[in-house]
Amino acid sequence: MTHAVEVEGLVKTYRVRSRRGFFKYSVELIEAVKGISFTVDYGSVVCLLGPNGAGKTTTIKILATLLLPDSGTARVAGYDVVKEAGKVRENIGLMLTVEKGFYGKLTGRENLEYFAALYGIPRREAERRIDYLIKLLELDKLGADRKLYEEFSLGMKARLSLARALLKDAPILLLDEPTLGLDPPSARRIRELVRDIAHKEGKAIIYTTHNMFEAELVCDRILLINKGVIVAEGTVDELKDKIPKLKVINITLKSGRNPAEVIGEYPFKKEVGVEENNTFRVKLYVQKPEEVLGEVLKKLVNSGGEVVDVKIEEPTLEDVFIYFSEGSV
Amino acid sequence: MSFIDILRAEFKLEYNDVFRRKSVLVMLVLYPYIFTLFTLFIGYAGGSPEYFTMRVKVEPVVYLITASYMLMSIFASIDVLLWRPLYDERNGTLIYIIASPVSRLKYYMALPFPRFTELLLLGSTSILPVYTYYYGLDGLLLGILVMLLISIGCVVMIPFAIVIVGLSHRIGESWRVLNIVRPLIMVVMGIYYPRVYMPLAGYIIGGLIPSSHIVEVVQGLLMGFHSNYFMLLVLAFTLFTIYLPLGSWSIGLWEKKKVREGVKTS
Repeated sequence: MTHAVEVEGLVKTYRVRSRRGFFKYSVELIEAVKGISFTVDYGSVVCLLGPNGAGKTTTIKILATLLLPDSGTARVAGYDVVKEAGKVRENIGLMLTVEKGFYGKLTGRENLEYFAALYGIPRREAERRIDYLIKLLELDKLGADRKLYEEFSLGMKARLSLARALLKDAPILLLDEPTLGLDPPSARRIRELVRDIAHKEGKAIIYTTHNMFEAELVCDRILLINKGVIVAEGTVDELKDKIPKLKVINITLKSGRNPAEVIGEYPFKKEVGVEENNTFRVKLYVQKPEEVLGEVLKKLVNSGGEVVDVKIEEPTLEDVFIYFSEGSV
Repeated sequence: MSFIDILRAEFKLEYNDVFRRKSVLVMLVLYPYIFTLFTLFIGYAGGSPEYFTMRVKVEPVVYLITASYMLMSIFASIDVLLWRPLYDERNGTLIYIIASPVSRLKYYMALPFPRFTELLLLGSTSILPVYTYYYGLDGLLLGILVMLLISIGCVVMIPFAIVIVGLSHRIGESWRVLNIVRPLIMVVMGIYYPRVYMPLAGYIIGGLIPSSHIVEVVQGLLMGFHSNYFMLLVLAFTLFTIYLPLGSWSIGLWEKKKVREGVKTS
């Protein structure tokens, strides 16, 4: 079976010009994507997970034919994004921004009708599809089908944006941070819908986010991307298994010396966060917690710290991300 | 996708925008009068209406309201095209238009129609009453003929405007370029200062703008020039046909540049 999306060695470097004088400019090269390769199958949600500036939106834009790659190939629904951009555009549903992207003086329904015309959907079919999507995304309950877009809340805008992405019933959806800035109920509804659409309707969905929790809930497979490189990929469980038998010790303690100084000499990875009231949260990534915990606690107590809480946890997706993006734990 | 569907979508967008923004509607109705009053005020300050009639051979009110109406109709229609990419970029809709499979030429050809139909309708509130007042029933018929000619002037101007859109938006800060190009077109088109009175260079450059020939026909009808009206119409349609493929090429160039740099999402 052919893949819905096939990306091979994709590279994109931006040239950013900065003014240095009346006639002088300096050019800075920013490597946004450095030779990434991956595939996405129909009926699955694949997350591009990474921090801001990791290259997620650049990748989505290339796949949506909104940006030309410098080298490498990308095929969407079997069509090359550079040579067959028109065909690619017929096969994708796109959601790139939540907060804008519609006409303010049109209602939600009228905006969808406008884009249906641009997508070449016959009028009667468009009406049926719009009715269906308005119900599916509960836009009617929010009154968003009758209200002017300029009166929409962010949650309503996000739902309308997803409705547009689904308008032409394209087999592939490209969703760039679709829940960014949304209230929890709206974000939850969108996450549920995305999973349902992929699994029940067999669509391939690429979903970018920097939210680990969301990636864990929505995605069948995760591509961890950092500084333009895919640092790891797999299901959530596969990714967790890739961290070599590590467990996370979470210690909360009050007062005393900064724990970073006290346990600084230990070779394992540690993170120290400082909160209000002189409270420290310490995370230790170790293979055998029982071997180090006693000694570490003793040192922390001897330095004047009062241990409030100790927990030993399995690594989270966030830990996996830190492990892969920073090289080692 | 059919041209009619795109046209229908654009009509809905434009008419809803105007009727839900009352200030725009009021300005559309009042604009030819405001412009006429302003130019009459300037004109009367420097001369007399009798002198104007003697030199131009037409009533100043009739001449100026026709000129204002022509200017407004043709420019308001092509302004929709000239500024639309910037409007869509600010709205965040440009990325979705570029990522859509819509035929670019059909799309850009459809954009000005709703605006110029509005302006044609508004002709009935501006030039028709004035013509009827000055020339009676014959004036009414002349007014209808002038409206028809101006509508042709709007349509033949579209491909030329598409060429300007593609070329000007290739340049950074294209709004600055448009602010220079637009008044230049306005001058050489000869709406207020007829092309026949221009120096040869101005006459030739103006002749490259399709609507200028229609403007010449309207002025000829009003001022009694003995031009070959049929030839002027043929010339306007010939330019329309020549600019059509150039417009498609120009939009293609602009879009390629956008995609090379990356269409902005915010």
